[in-house]
Amino acid sequence: MSDFYFSNDLFGELDRLQRQMSALFGNLPSSIRSSRTDAFPPLNMGTTDESINIVAFAPGIDPGTFEVTVDKGTLTIAGERKAPELAAGSETRAYAKERFFGTFRRVIELPQNADPDKVEAGYSNGCLTIRIGKREASKPRAITIQ
Amino acid sequence: MNDTTQIAQRDTGGVARSNQDSARRLTLTPAVDIIEDSHGITLWADLPGVSRDKLDVKVHDGRLYIEAEAVVPTPGDLQLHHAEIRAPHFARAFTLSEDFDTSKVDANLQGGVLKLSIPRREEARPRRIDVHVD
Repeated sequence: MSDFYFSNDLFGELDRLQRQMSALFGNLPSSIRSSRTDAFPPLNMGTTDESINIVAFAPGIDPGTFEVTVDKGTLTIAGERKAPELAAGSETRAYAKERFFGTFRRVIELPQNADPDKVEAGYSNGCLTIRIGKREASKPRAITIQ
Repeated sequence: MNDTTQIAQRDTGGVARSNQDSARRLTLTPAVDIIEDSHGITLWADLPGVSRDKLDVKVHDGRLYIEAEAVVPTPGDLQLHHAEIRAPHFARAFTLSEDFDTSKVDANLQGGVLKLSIPRREEARPRRIDVHVD
């Protein structure tokens, strides 16, 4: 893809600039706890009043090989992505190898109010969705004024 | 023989706009693997969160277009705190050479991975020519 179609959209431009700069400097993290920007799988995280929702974009993985653990306030998603087997002996030529293969592990620090006993995980269309309940005491409550 | 010939570096910036689309929206460039053998070319593309009905693969004027939309079921009152995938639209285009038979493209989407098989035309397949010595 060429740069021809880049827009004048500021958000997209900044995102692209940041990635290009980090690629230029070897993509090394600046903070001791920060991870590379191109880590696999990419994660999105959000919260609702009842739960903490995490989506890991990890396509092409056997759901049985995921290891999702909650320990000491952190959530760990680990697993392995296996490369497709190619017919041996045939003459092959690779033009692009961009997809990630191998073992991966990503750790997320959970908020204090996460309840480790209420974790649900599902895998569909290559997305691992994890829902962690919040402790009862931390849910927002309307206070009646007497 | 196994050699690696990278003809096009993936733009890791990923965020681009496809101007074919009148809606002019933000799109992501999906990661692909492209392998060629004597039968044709096989392309794998990572499209997490994309279901069969949200995927559009088309060949037009010798160009192969892959366009897709990711749909992740989330509760309505979700507040996003951290996002590494910001745009739910994927788009990427490739130029196909005349050697490939675009009428026999086979597409298979499984677990967020698209596998495209594009066979070579019969006359474009490599064949060994016997050399006769008198």
